Formats: sequence, structure tokens, C-alpha cells
Amino acid sequence: MDAEGLKLLSAGLAIGLGALGPGLAIGMIGYGAMQSLGRNPEARGAIQTNMILSIILAEAVAIYALVVAILLALVV
Amino acid sequence: MAKKKLLGIPLPVFVVIVVLVILLFVSLLGGPIGSKLLKVFGIDFNLPEWASVPTPKPELPAEPLFHVGIIPVTNTLVTTWITIGVILLFGLLSTRKMKLVPSRLQVAFEYVVSTLLNLCEGIAGPKYGRQVFPIVATIFLFVFINAWSSLIPGYGSITLGIEHHGHLVDIPLLRGANTDINVPLALALVAFFTVWVFGFKASGIRYMSQFIQTKKFFQAFKDIVHLRLKSAAGNFAFGILDFFVGILEFISQFIRLVSFTFRLFGNMLAGEILLLSVAFLVPWVLSVAIYGLEMLVGFVQALAFGLLTLIFTSMAVAGHDQEEHGKEASAVSH
Repeated sequence: MDAEGLKLLSAGLAIGLGALGPGLAIGMIGYGAMQSLGRNPEARGAIQTNMILSIILAEAVAIYALVVAILLALVV
Repeated sequence: MAKKKLLGIPLPVFVVIVVLVILLFVSLLGGPIGSKLLKVFGIDFNLPEWASVPTPKPELPAEPLFHVGIIPVTNTLVTTWITIGVILLFGLLSTRKMKLVPSRLQVAFEYVVSTLLNLCEGIAGPKYGRQVFPIVATIFLFVFINAWSSLIPGYGSITLGIEHHGHLVDIPLLRGANTDINVPLALALVAFFTVWVFGFKASGIRYMSQFIQTKKFFQAFKDIVHLRLKSAAGNFAFGILDFFVGILEFISQFIRLVSFTFRLFGNMLAGEILLLSVAFLVPWVLSVAIYGLEMLVGFVQALAFGLLTLIFTSMAVAGHDQEEHGKEASAVSH
């Protein structure tokens, strides 16, 4: 495999594997939020804010992987 | 006379939907993906030259438009100042003739400001919430208007021909300011220093005590004086542990800086590249949906940036009696 192909492969792997963890995390956050929403519908506002916040924090990890992938594909 | 309906939808709406779906299919088949696929079946189908979108060439660093002395004026700098101008203009216009019975513009601005103020006071408490409100609201409005203004047609599509290394290159005149890493970095620095300033303001030099934890060492020393050697050893071991926890806490402050920067930068740059690629792969219709997604992302990221600044500040000003609460919050945020 030549250098160019290796570069593209590594960029794809970077975002592909990097999105795995945050994807699971967001799923679990949604699961938890839905469960607590079902048990306590009055706390909708607080649950929603905290859910979005947690999703953002989990998603940030995927964004790091994305930045690495973009750097690999476009800059290096 | 009753309106004509088809499948429960008014006729004009139905026609528009059908046209959009047809356009979507034609563009999907005529775009790069579709033509490659059709070539397998021996059909040569391409969109005409005027209707196809050129291959996108995303640029990572912002491109300089011209130089003032040795300082390059980039296209993101221009958009940053446009955003500042827009915020200033709306602020001035809506507060110029303030009345008890407000004008429409004043109501809109009052709604935005009071919503943000309520958010701040709800999280950081009435005293510090009011103090930190200007910074949080400014960050939110700045990021938000930057993000949404970069979706306006003309951003990225109006280009200037600039002489670069002897040949002419087209450089977009305007480009979303959040896609330049310097803008998120500057905002992250502002947020970072806000947190520290508020921490020192609330608890003085004792704010540092969460980073250099020596409480257990003193206890161990006291135990040695009182000849309780077993307890002294335990306290000493925990002292070392606490000391490292303090160091980790200190490092995590700087990791926040990095994550603040790359969260905003990555999201906005990814959005820009996504829009370009979708417009290239499936011309015409599909990118409208992506525009909707990008509006949501822009709003959420602006909210996240402001909200995280607010939460970190309220964690920093939380007193020592509330330290357990702060620990819980930091456990959530890492």
C-alpha cells in the first residue's frame, strides 16, 4: 500500500473508531434521560438541559477524532 | 368551494413535494455517486455543466485577503468584525428609544437578554449569576451569530482573485469565523480566565488550595506529634493521593481549554465541509436539509459554549462547604 492510501485509511479509521465511543455514550445518555423522564415527567426541563449538556460533552470526543481525521486527510 | 386535496394534503403542497422528490432523485442519479452507479449498468447520465457542482476544496487555515503592515487580514477576521457590527447595531437600535411600552425590536432584545439572565441566575445563583452574565451572554450571541451568519448565501461563494505565489487564486471574501481555530481559541481563553478570576474573587488565594492539597499532610504531622503513628501513616498515604488528585485537577483546567477550542472549531468546520460535500455529491435539494441541521448545531454549540463557561464559573465560586457538590458536578463534566 502506498503512502497516499495509508493516509486515507488512517483518516477513515480515526473518525470511524473515534465515533464508536461517543456514539455508545450518546445512546446511553438518551436511554438514561428517557428512563428518568418516564419516571418523573415533571423534571422535564432539568433533564433536558442536563441531557443536552452531557451529549455535548460526549460528542466533543468524536470531534477530536474528526479534527484528527481532517488533519490527516487534508493537511498532512 | 372545498379545496382540492390529494392524499389528505392540499394540492399545491402536494405538487411542491412531488417536484422536490423528483429533483432529489434526478440530482442523486446525476451527481457523482449516481453517475458512477449508472455506469456499471452501462448508462451514461450526467448533469449538464451548468447544473453540476464543482469538487469542493476545503481550506483548513483562513486565507489572508490582504496585509496591513505585517499583519494578514484574513477573511475570518472580516466576518468577525461583521458579527461584532451586527450585535452592536441591534443593541444600539433596540435600546435607543427605550419605552415602558416597548417597540418590537426592544421586546425581542429584552426577551433574549432576560432568557439568558434567567439561565445564569438559575445556575450560578443570583449574585454571581448577574456578575458573570455579560460574559456568558456575549459569548453566546457572538458564537450564535457567527454560526448562523455563515449559512447566509454569499459566505464562501463570493470570491476575490488574489495573487498568490505568482498565480491567481480565488479566495472567498467571507468565511464563517468559527471555522478559524483562532476565534474559538480566543473565546476559550476568555472563558478560561473568567473562571479563574471568579474563583479568586470568591475565595481569594484559597482557590489554589484545590490544586495543592496539603490538608492530609498537616493531619499526619499532627498525628506524629501526638504519637499516633498508625493514623499518621494512613494520613500520609492519603496525603500523597490527594496531592496527585490536586495536580490532575490543575491539568484538567488546561484540558478544558483544549476541549473548548476544538469542540467549537471541529463542529463548525465539520458543518462547513459537510455542506460542501453534500452539495457536491447530491446537488440541489439535499443540502437544504443539512442547512437545517447546521442551524441546530450552531445554536447548540453557542449554548454549550456559554453554558459550560457558566457552569465552570459556578463550580469555581462554590464555597468550600459546597466542595462535595462541586466534585459531583465535575464528575459529570469530565
